[in-house]
Amino acid sequence: MTNSQIDKIIAKYEGKSGVLIQLLLELQRELNWISPEAVKRINEKLGIPISEIYRVASFYTALSLEPRGKYLIRVCAGTACYIRGGLRVLDAAEKTIGIKAGETSSDLKFTLETVNCLGCCALGPVVEINGKYYGTVTPKRLEEIICRKRSEK
Amino acid sequence: MRQNAEVVEDKTEKSEYVTLTIDGIEVKARKGTPLLEVARQIGVEIPTLCYYSFVSPYGSCRLCSVEITTKSGRNRIVTSCNYPAEDGLKVETKSEKVIMVRKGILELLLARCPKVVRVKNLAREYGITEPTLWVSDQDEDCILCGLCVRACKELIGVSAINFAMRGVKREITAPYHKFSDDCIGCGVCALVCPTGSRKIRQHTYATIAPLKGPKDENIGVNIDIFSAHSPDSLDGFVKAVIAAGLKSGLLDSVVLAKRKNSFAAEAVIIENSEDFLNCSLANSVRIKIVSTLMDAIAKGKRKIAFIGLPCQVRAARKIEQTLQKEIPDLEITSIGLFCLNSFNPKKLVEKINSLFKVDEKQIENISVKDGKFIIQAKSKEHSVALEKLDAAIENGCVYCNDFPAFFADLAIGTAGSEPGSVTVIVRTDKGKMLLEKANFTRDIAQKDDVVRLSDFKKNRAKEHTAPILKEIYAQRSRKGE
Ligand code: SF4
Ligand code: FES
Ligand code: FES
Repeated sequence: MTNSQIDKIIAKYEGKSGVLIQLLLELQRELNWISPEAVKRINEKLGIPISEIYRVASFYTALSLEPRGKYLIRVCAGTACYIRGGLRVLDAAEKTIGIKAGETSSDLKFTLETVNCLGCCALGPVVEINGKYYGTVTPKRLEEIICRKRSEK
Repeated sequence: MRQNAEVVEDKTEKSEYVTLTIDGIEVKARKGTPLLEVARQIGVEIPTLCYYSFVSPYGSCRLCSVEITTKSGRNRIVTSCNYPAEDGLKVETKSEKVIMVRKGILELLLARCPKVVRVKNLAREYGITEPTLWVSDQDEDCILCGLCVRACKELIGVSAINFAMRGVKREITAPYHKFSDDCIGCGVCALVCPTGSRKIRQHTYATIAPLKGPKDENIGVNIDIFSAHSPDSLDGFVKAVIAAGLKSGLLDSVVLAKRKNSFAAEAVIIENSEDFLNCSLANSVRIKIVSTLMDAIAKGKRKIAFIGLPCQVRAARKIEQTLQKEIPDLEITSIGLFCLNSFNPKKLVEKINSLFKVDEKQIENISVKDGKFIIQAKSKEHSVALEKLDAAIENGCVYCNDFPAFFADLAIGTAGSEPGSVTVIVRTDKGKMLLEKANFTRDIAQKDDVVRLSDFKKNRAKEHTAPILKEIYAQRSRKGE
């Protein structure tokens, strides 16, 4: 995303107050992360101190200060999923992609995270990929899903 | 800001008075005053860690907890630093319940900061000598009270540091754990911090090791001070010196604020002397320049000239002092420009617009002379006394006491010299070496002029910090520290 695109998004919020979170969420959606460049632009255009933007961006898990992959894979490690083997599913994901939970693959295709309960424990182990939920996931099945996503253009 | 809040209060509530009792003493207070202040007025002491009257209350340390019973009979524990006085309130500051709550809080604080003297002393007063809870970090020294954050934001107005992360990872830091672009090195954060935390010193310029050498009170450390002839005044002289340094290989780059138009500037890295001679210095605006200096270092530059305002020079010095441990061959030669205060471009444009009815785009030149601010627009000259522009002074400048760039290698400015000359203070050998590469004729500088301005700036800063210091010292003596 170019600077002018960032500016375009920021422009929508100019002259309004109390919009930082909304603005950051929109940038996150479009850019997949809150880049230092974007932070700088917000500071210049809206006059919000950089430390304030950083405070908010580092507080919310929905906002990322590092680039996130195209696919955000969140493996549930909440109690129910944990008991049903959630960690083995996580293991499989880590091995298949070659990164640890909390990391992003170097081709920016995958970001792997754990979450504590996605609110559908009966379906455990649960994995969420870009908002889509997968129930009773086995290590093998997740491996297949990842391979499919990887080979796609 | 707190002050604003009070003004608003006055208008709406017409200073309504209420009656309440504190530890059985009946007291009249203005409605809305924090209970803590009311208690202090009648000599009732309540311990605090995160409260000063000159910043907004935040209620994070919980130490000032008191027990209240409202008119309707509701009884509970509240933090007195941010609980407003209301009619018929019964406040107990030393009841059994209060003592129990405070003990609990101190247990927690001591487990977080087992080595912090202030916390240890307070805990001891409540009979706690050793942490009884799990200590996760023996060296933790921040209680996350946010006093530094509030002082930086509300008093100084720069917001260089803030909270970051959340939960157990919550911390105080400059953005990205990097050297701050906004910190002006006023040191107020360190002053208000109840624990003397080192966190705030990491990426700010609150503390810097002083330069060594012979020292004048108002001029600072110096090995030489003189006036140099320079037909092109300040700009010309600085350029000649740096260009000679670049040509001779004494420098490999220069980081400076380059003028874009009358008020806007951008921070740039320049590597060769021709490019440098072609750009124009912006010396009266405070822009973010530290990150550009860091970029230069990351690019492998090792002999960097840094041109900046006194506050920015502090930053450069601190960065040099800190990084030299890892990068021993790093040398930053700082050229500090005398500064009484910088102006906020936005506020200044507005002010000029209302004074002279000229548009920003019509301004051809700006200069400061004999206490006057002069602008050229549409081939006409307008001038105004500097005091008239006080409202446009950049945030925090009035708290800064550094006129002659105390931490620079070379400090340069027009004060103390005739038109067509500039005053040069040589503070270090590094500065001296750089000067040797340039050609100019020298004269005697009017030191007194520099001293006078330096003194003025120091006093202005003192005036602004005096009430803060008074409260801080009162607080410390209250704790018997
Ligand atoms: S650094 Fe000091 S002032 Fe800032 S939050 Fe921590 S304890 Fe409070
Ligand atoms: S524990 Fe996994 S969805 Fe609740
Ligand atoms: S002084 Fe009131 S909560 Fe810290």
